[in-house]
Amino acid sequence: MASGSPDDSGRQAALPWTPGDVSESATEALQALDTYKKKDPSKVVVRFKAVGNAPIMRQNFYKITASNRFQAVIQFLRKELAWKAGDPLFTYINLAFSPAPDDTVSNLYKSFATEGHLIVNYSTTAAWG
Amino acid sequence: MSAYGTTRHHGQTSANSTPASTTLFRRLTWEGTVPLEIRVDSKELPANSDRGLECYYIQAPRVSYLPLLMPEIRRFLMDVVFDEAAGKMLKEEEWWFESEEGTLLKWHWPIGLIYDNHTISASIRPPSQTSTSHYNLQVTPLKLILHLASPPTEKLLLSPSAESCKQAYMGQLKEADFIRWGNTKRMTGLRKQDQDGIWEGIKEHNFDDYWRVASKIVPTTAPARSSSPPPSTNPSMHIRPPSADPQSAPDRDNAYNVRSVPVRLYLPDGPVMQDVVSPTLEDGSAHTLVHYLSTHLPLLFPPAPYSGPELAYAMMHGVLVPPDAEMAWLGACMAGADGWVSVCVGIAR
Repeated sequence: MASGSPDDSGRQAALPWTPGDVSESATEALQALDTYKKKDPSKVVVRFKAVGNAPIMRQNFYKITASNRFQAVIQFLRKELAWKAGDPLFTYINLAFSPAPDDTVSNLYKSFATEGHLIVNYSTTAAWG
Repeated sequence: MSAYGTTRHHGQTSANSTPASTTLFRRLTWEGTVPLEIRVDSKELPANSDRGLECYYIQAPRVSYLPLLMPEIRRFLMDVVFDEAAGKMLKEEEWWFESEEGTLLKWHWPIGLIYDNHTISASIRPPSQTSTSHYNLQVTPLKLILHLASPPTEKLLLSPSAESCKQAYMGQLKEADFIRWGNTKRMTGLRKQDQDGIWEGIKEHNFDDYWRVASKIVPTTAPARSSSPPPSTNPSMHIRPPSADPQSAPDRDNAYNVRSVPVRLYLPDGPVMQDVVSPTLEDGSAHTLVHYLSTHLPLLFPPAPYSGPELAYAMMHGVLVPPDAEMAWLGACMAGADGWVSVCVGIAR
């Protein structure tokens, strides 16, 4: 988390708790938390569908790691389409809405998968924006 | 909190059949504010700035967004801190925020969520000397560092403009609509002036303007039949019978008839979890918060029977939520202005 940001004298280092600081239950809770923080290594099938006059992809099924953010899907799509930076490309789930770019593929898949696929529509103009 | 009760079963039904308790909780959610301390990164202050005054304090609505605060912050800095000539050189679109711990603050997260997320993330760090409360929920300003240049665009994901914040917000509303009903007809059915109006309601922090439109998309807690007696504690009453009268609008919009409740679960320093949260369980009983938590995070909220110490807590809009709160009720009464129920989980001390 901490990056090349200015060094603030008041800042607290994010040290792990030392055993003297915490009760047994807090230790247990922190360990439990670690298991939920583990990234889901599984992959899910994302199916890209062009909308309007957006170019069609030769291959439109891809397996994408579930823990990726939707932003990574957008970047992947732009690369596959050889889309120029700055050229507009709008992405939607189920022809309905644009997810937040920081949402994970895993979350979107669990909530919106259709017949085992997460359907991502893409368009060169705002369609359901 | 407990004095208000946690269920939908009391309070009279008003003319538009929104129970008084629903309106009360919606208003409490809407009126919530958080204190912010905004300090310009001292290394980035332009020449001739007034250094004693580079801190700005604001009590910001929880349902608002950082891009909406920018005009006010800018006005303060221009009037009081920056030298006039130097201030004119600054480009507002390059400004960005970071927490004291170095976490980037996202433009498209509601301010209340940023605050609560900071609180739960602090719950896994060494206790500071000032924290005395068990849950460390005392209200202290969230300290933000304002940078004036070189935004890490890749990580911020969105530009800081109010317009892109609005687009992201509308996307969240639509996603919530899709979660509830399996389509976005309610959202797409809104006229342009309503779509703009709901955002204006947030911008101006106007409860009535917001709910004038939001009531068309957020489900109600009203009883299915206005003539029926107050609902009993038997939640199966809220399940739509197979032959439900399609003309019964309150039934169609009832919080207990949604396919799923838009809920996201936030853990300290991430991750954010989301999946299908049905309003009722298979046996017809209401899906409660404690059931939801012990299903999704059984190691932190061990299912009954469990008699060990409390390991974690669940917080919404800065308050601890009773475990028997019903998910459908939370979706109708304690969702944020973006339609989502944001459950923030911290570690108990």
